[in-house]
Parts: sequence; C-alpha cells; structure tokens
Amino acid sequence: MKAVGARLPRYDGIGHVTGRTTYVDDVRVSGMLWAKALRSPLHSATITSFDTSKAEAMPGVHAVITHADVPLLEYGHLSALGIPADEPLLAKDEVRYKGQPIAVVAAEDEETAMAAVEAIDIELEERTPLFDIRRAFDADAPKVHQWGNWYTHFEGEMDRRQIRKGSVEDAFDKADTIVQGVYRPAAIEHVPLETQVALVVPEASGRLTIYSCTQALYFSMGVVAAHLQVPLNKLKVVGGTVGGGFGGKVDTASETMCALLAQKSGRPVKWRWTREEEFLCSSTRAPWHMEIADAVTKDGWILGRKMLTLHDSGAYGRFSPYGLTKHSFHHTGAYTIPNLEFDGYVVFTNRVPTTAMRGFGVTSVSFATETHMSRIADVLGLDPYEVRLKNANRIGDTSPNRIVYTDPSTVSVVKALAGGMDVELQPEYAAMSRDPREGDLLPEHLVGQMANPEDH
Amino acid sequence: MNLTVNGTTHDVESGPLATLLDVLREELGVTSPKAGCEQGGCGACTVLVDGEPQRSCLTPVGALDGASVTTVEGLGAPESLSPLQQAFTHHYAAQCGFCTSGMMIAAEAYLKRGGTDDREAIQEALAGHVCRCTGYVKIIDAVAAVARGDSFDLTVTAPSPGMTNLGGVS
Amino acid sequence: MAVHKGRGIAAIEYPTGMNQNGDPSQAWIKVKPDGRIDVFAGTSDIGNGSKTIQSQIVAETIGVPYDWITYDNSNTDSSPVCTGTFASRATFVAGKAVEKAAERVKERILDIAGKELEIDPSDLEIVDGEVLAKGAPQKKIAVPDVAAAATWTYGELITGTGAQLKDFASIVDPETGEVDSPPHSAISYAACAAEVEVDDETGVVRVTRLVQVYDVGRAINPTLVEGQIEGGAVQGLGLGVLENCYPYYPSAEHRGGQFGSYLAPGFEDLPQIDTIIIENPSADGPYGAKGIGEMANNAQPPAIASAVYDAVGVWVTELPITPERVLRALEAKAEPTRNGKTFVFDAELSVNAVAQGGIAFEVPA
Repeated sequence: MKAVGARLPRYDGIGHVTGRTTYVDDVRVSGMLWAKALRSPLHSATITSFDTSKAEAMPGVHAVITHADVPLLEYGHLSALGIPADEPLLAKDEVRYKGQPIAVVAAEDEETAMAAVEAIDIELEERTPLFDIRRAFDADAPKVHQWGNWYTHFEGEMDRRQIRKGSVEDAFDKADTIVQGVYRPAAIEHVPLETQVALVVPEASGRLTIYSCTQALYFSMGVVAAHLQVPLNKLKVVGGTVGGGFGGKVDTASETMCALLAQKSGRPVKWRWTREEEFLCSSTRAPWHMEIADAVTKDGWILGRKMLTLHDSGAYGRFSPYGLTKHSFHHTGAYTIPNLEFDGYVVFTNRVPTTAMRGFGVTSVSFATETHMSRIADVLGLDPYEVRLKNANRIGDTSPNRIVYTDPSTVSVVKALAGGMDVELQPEYAAMSRDPREGDLLPEHLVGQMANPEDH
Repeated sequence: MNLTVNGTTHDVESGPLATLLDVLREELGVTSPKAGCEQGGCGACTVLVDGEPQRSCLTPVGALDGASVTTVEGLGAPESLSPLQQAFTHHYAAQCGFCTSGMMIAAEAYLKRGGTDDREAIQEALAGHVCRCTGYVKIIDAVAAVARGDSFDLTVTAPSPGMTNLGGVS
Repeated sequence: MAVHKGRGIAAIEYPTGMNQNGDPSQAWIKVKPDGRIDVFAGTSDIGNGSKTIQSQIVAETIGVPYDWITYDNSNTDSSPVCTGTFASRATFVAGKAVEKAAERVKERILDIAGKELEIDPSDLEIVDGEVLAKGAPQKKIAVPDVAAAATWTYGELITGTGAQLKDFASIVDPETGEVDSPPHSAISYAACAAEVEVDDETGVVRVTRLVQVYDVGRAINPTLVEGQIEGGAVQGLGLGVLENCYPYYPSAEHRGGQFGSYLAPGFEDLPQIDTIIIENPSADGPYGAKGIGEMANNAQPPAIASAVYDAVGVWVTELPITPERVLRALEAKAEPTRNGKTFVFDAELSVNAVAQGGIAFEVPA
C-alpha cells in the first residue's frame, strides 16, 4: 500500500497554516446585508400581538421575515424516516424555548439590524414551562408539545422505543444479585470555533447560492428546498469546509432564513451567529436520564437488563427519535445480554431543542452501561476486566435487535487495554478471543440467544 | 490613522471604535483572524501588534495609530512556509483550521521571546486559546519542534511525540 | 485533606453509518488530459480530514501518487449527493463511494493502456502512476500518456462514478425491536482507562492520564486517527468533568454564554494521552476501514466516573463530575439501599422519587 495506511499530510493543510482557507464568513460579496433575529426571551409563552412594521420602515432595513413568509413553515428534517414535522421555522402563535427565533431582519449593517430587532413590537403571555423530564408524564405537567409531552410516532404510533428479548422476569428471579443505578449525563454545547453562519446570494439567473457551514450540503439543500417549496436545482449550496461541527451543524436553519431574506430583499444576506447565540440558542447535546437494573450472577454473568431511558429533546423533536432508536439498539454496549426489557421515551421540555452531537444516542448509553458495569464488578468483588471479558460480544452472539455479531472486538480492545495498563490478566482471560462461545463461556443462559449457524 | 499590516501601510477609514478585527477582516480583506467569540475568550482573533499578541476583537483601532500588525498571512506563504507553518503542517496541528491563525500567532510570540520545547511552558503560553478539534497534543508537538530547531518533511506527517503509542498501528 | 488517585476503565462499541442505513454517498471522478485525477464528492470536511482520507483511497485504488488527486466537495452543482458528515460515515460510506468510482476509472485506464500496449488489461497493473505488465514491468505506459491517448486518439473522457447505499434495515417487530438486517455498515470498538486525582477538600477531579484503545478496522491515515483520538479524548474529558449547558439542570437558568462561564476544555486540562490503534478489518469497508470520529468521546466519561469512585469511594453518576458534586457525595457517603438481593444506587435521582405517578421504574422483584 502506498497511500492507504500512510501518514500523508492534510489535503487542505497549507491553507489552514497560511490563513488562506476560506470559511463562510470569509466570503465577500458586494451589497451584502447583515441579519439579526428576534428571539424569544421566555421559556414558554403565547404570542398575543406581533407587529414588524416599525422595523420594516427603519432606514437601512431591507427585509423582515416572519412565519408568514415561509412557504412551508414546518418541515420534518427526518420525515423520510417517518418522523413527522413538528417545528415551525419561525414561531407563529407561541414560543416554546428561550431563544426561539420569531423574526429575522436583514439590514445594511449589524447595528441597524440589531436596532430593527428592538423595534419589533411583540407581546407575550408567559406560561409555566416544563424542565424536568421525570415530571413530564405527570397528570399536572405543563403541556409542551402538540403531541403531548413525549413523542408518539415510533413506527407510526408507538409512544416509546421498545426492546424485548427473552424474559427479564426469569433472569431477575435466577440472579444472585441485582444492581440498580441512575445515570444522567448533561447537555453540552458543540463549541465549534466557527459559529453558525450562512450567506445567501440571489443570482441573476434566479437561483440562490447558499454559502453554508453545514456538515451536510445535500441535507441542508433539501431542507431549504422544502421550506421554500422549490426544486433542488434552484439552489446551489457552497461549502464543504467547516470550522468544526461535532453534530451541531446539521439541523441548521440559518440557510433557510437567509434564503428567504435574500429573496425578499434581492440582496445577499449573511447571518453570523454571535458566540452568545451559539452558547445560548443553538441546539445542544441532549440531557439523558437512564435507569438500569441488571440481574447478575455471583461470578459476574449479566443474565438480564431492564432499562428505562428518558431523552430530553427540548421543545421539538428534531433528530431525537432517531437518536433514541440508535440508543436502544446499543443499550447492551459491548456485551451479550440475553434477557432484555428496554423502554425509551423522547420527552419534550421547554429548553432549546437538542440535536446530534458526537456519539449521538450512544454516548449516553456508553456512560450509563459502562459505569454500571464497573459498579457491578465492585459490588460483586470481581475484576473489572474479567467481568467485561466474559460478557463480551463474541462471534455468533446476537444483539438486542437480533443481529448476529460477525466480527466483534470487545475482547481485543479489553485485552489490549490491560496490556497498555500493565495489568496482567489471569491465563483464562488472557486466552480469550472473539471465537464463538463454548464450554465455560457458554453458560445455559446464553445458549438461547446464540445465532443458529444454519441461519447465517 | 494608519496601520501597517504584514508590511503594507494602510489609511484606515473605519472609525476609532471599530475593532481591529473588523478593520482587518472587513475593511482590509485580511481574513485569517477569526470572529470566534468577539468576547476575548477564544483567541481565534489574535494578531501581533508591534510584536505582542493581542485579541483584535477587543482592540479599538483608534488606539493603534502607526502600529504594525502581523497576521498569519505575514508569517509565510505556501511557497515559503515559515518554520512554524511547516511544523503545524508536519505535526497535523490543524484539523478544521479555524483556531489555527490565532494559535499560531500566540506560538510565534512565544518562540520569538525565546520559548523552549518544554511542554508545560508551551501550554501556559497558549492557554486561553481554545481548540475544539485537536485536543491540543499536536499543537504542543508542533511548537516544541520549532523550539528545538527541527526541520520538516512536508510530504509526510509525524506520529505524535506528545502522545505515547503503546502498540498497534505506528 | 488529601489528593487521592484512582483508576477506572470502560469498553464500548459504536456503529458506522446512519442508524438503519439508507444513507447514500456518491462520487464521480474524471481524468485530466495529463493524467491528473479530479474527484467530486459531496462530503463536508468538518476538520476530521475526510478530503484527505478520500483522496488517499482514490490514489491507492487507481495506483497514482496522492498529489495527483484534486478533491472538490465545494458545491452541490458539481458534487453528487452525500448524506453528510455524521454517524461516522465519511470514511466507510463516503469512502466506499469514491473507492468504487476509482475502480471504474482504473478499469478505463487499463483498457486504454491495454490497447496502447497490445496487452490484455487483466495482465496490467498501475503502480505509482505507471501502467505495467504484471511480471514484465519493462512493458509499460505512464498514466499521463494513457490520458493523452484517451483525449486525442480515442475521444474518451476517462471517468467513473460510484455510489454506496446500504439497504434500510427495517424494524420488523416494534414490540421487540427486531430488525431484518444489520442497521449499520460496521461496528467499531474501543476501550479507555482513566487515571484521576481527586482533591477531597476542593472536590476537584483532575484527569491525569487517558489510555485509549481503538479498533478502527484499518487506519487509512494513522495521523488523522490520532487526531480523532486526541480531540475526542479532550471532548470526553469535557463531558465528564467540565461542561454543562444547564449548570442547575433541570433548571434552564444560569446558562454560561461566554467561554469563561461555559467550561470548554483548555490546554490546562490536557492529560497524558496514550493510545493503541488496532486493526480488525471490516468485511466491507474501504481497505477494511471502520469509523472512529464519533465514538472518540464516549469511553472517557464512564472511565472517569469509575476512577473517581476508585479514588474517593463515591459514585457520581450525574455529569459533569463537578467539585460540588464530589463534595456533596463525600459528605453524604451514600450507600446503596439493600433490598434482599438488590443493591439500589442513586434512589434519589430515580423517576420513582421525582415523578408524581406519571412514570415509574419497576424492577421485577
């Protein structure tokens, strides 16, 4: 191999070190207008009155857009996956999170745009917000979303993501010990060094050129096309060089808003989010709440797992149902657990909608299940490497959703870690591999979940 | 007022309260300093003002009449990369590249005042510059390499001295 | 009043490709009259180096030097669809599309070379930009000459397209979650050990060392893999001990709107990072590659939580593990509730303690 496996230099590295790499904010077009948004100051409120006329009349203001300017106001980014649309591009009758965009202004310069935003007259009637996902199911919980307080459209009509395998009742009955714990990783921000930015240029041909920091050119193009109700060739998305994304530059809405402003004003429009907007108003990693109860034997076999996950989706669905589905598929982590009862809910709260971030759906489950694994080892007085090695995925084991593992590497990575930590494994464990289970590594409780060799 | 940027003197048209960052990016077309936060918190806007690293997002240009500003464009060009630019390339110290300009300016200042290849000293000199992509290891590798006087093969990137490879792929 | 050391481990797995698949990536390649290669693909490079990796794959597949490749992902007019840079799919799924396009181009080059050399294309190979007869390398023609022949003799544009799309894996039974086929392109695995120092007076957790093992299938570019490992390690550290959009979660108050009040990891937080990169090749990935980008920040938080327990005897299972949480835990010295054979940890955090009847977590007795 010449190129594959080689430590070749970055394709675009020279541009980075000479300051020549062009990011969206470095693109210069003449006649460019600056955009600023009116954002909800409240967590939850109805909009009782709303008037943009003073802003529109302000000298230097070229366009103001509200929900009324959007041809298709609600577009589900993952509607192809059966996740229905639920979120207006710009707020209409209500706001559901602090920072939700209500109107966007395009003006000659940043100061004028900010002054125009201040000149928009809006009256809000505050409502009681809901923040605690554990309380979302209570009868007296404030209602956040038109679907209720949790997503109800898994496979069309289910209100949770379910995994069932074997019998957790049997497993818990047979267990020597049951270990139960609760895991709550936080919402964190992507913190890309480049904040959200979009520049849309109306071309003489009638097309719109969209300079975007999106992580997904075609995905974002599809979103703009859907909101604007135009065919894809009306748009040209220019990008591909992003100043950090980490999952936060996929559900971008700034392109669509700039596109509408560019169409309305006939001028190029740029919207560069401030760092404060990025920290306070951009979509975040989700907070999760996970409760695990594992049925274990005294020699460290995990017979069964019951798990409840609540995913804090914030005010709208975005990608949460997808993330929770992925989470459910991986809730046994790198191990083979034959008896499973998993229930997961996408729960709505009055906070900034949560989105994908590095590890989406699985970061949370890895935190919960791995901390839990260490706890199990501690409670049972067993070696944390050994507990992991015996329960590790092996060829022929099946996953929570009944996929056969054909090349799992749990054993490889755990043994390599032991080596790296100068931990000497007992010979029985040092000899382990990914080979199909047999003998002592195939206790009765794992027999039923093994894939039938004839089927695969 | 006038300002010399990377050796060229300009008549600045922006008012005295305009930030140096805006003057560089919007008026003079020097786009390597980035608007990472405009709060002085990330370092992506850092430039050298009379040889000292300064947050251009917090500097009113009116205070800089006659000053000499250096940005990354002034360190070297693709055909003639400076040692630091070569080091950042060879040691893969830039991933998305957005923090790189400010980071390199701070590193340049550190090296110019005699900074050594001591990793802790480099960390201290660059503290206050946020990078989200690299995890900092290779940035320190690059600066240390320049301090040591290494020469750089730009056709290849180096394994990381600041990270121990315990086995497997090397 | 002491600093205590502790160590904890974690082993994880992560899928490559969008969950349940159905996420296409496409590429097309054309060869210039002098043999240089233009690649058009729609994958955004978010810093991960996808432009680099895909160029390496093309160079390897065709058999030409890396610097003969130009890679254009800049716009949707010239680049075909790529679902996007997420789900750790840029190397496997998008990389597979460019690999396929490159294979088509290679076939065309060999075909034309075969005409020029009067040798069957199946007896030819391309090495370092030259088409050679296998076993008789003195019979050769440079790729630039093949390209010239295509342009000015045969009237052909040497081009190739590639598309990678794995069938959507449907959930056949929503009650059980069973799927009809693997809902991923591959699964990567990793393990991490964290060493921490915990000050029992201030509660501060200092992560001093992270040992990381990654099975990436095939490291197309080991330096770029290291970049993901190091960057991911520091983000995982941030997730584990520093960062929180909502410091008083579930309350939405007192959010940090600046770098000083939102604690993104800095140089001062950097631990010693040691790595092991393993290659257990994937069955279908380009050159056996799997993904790494996303999982790079998943193993650190649980390893750190376990290390904190090892150091000071408290389990903090709400992230981030702040000094305040450590001190409160040390003060509370909570023991799990014992209920027959059941150990119940964190009862005060459970829905059972907080919900007013709307939801419960009931464990089979």
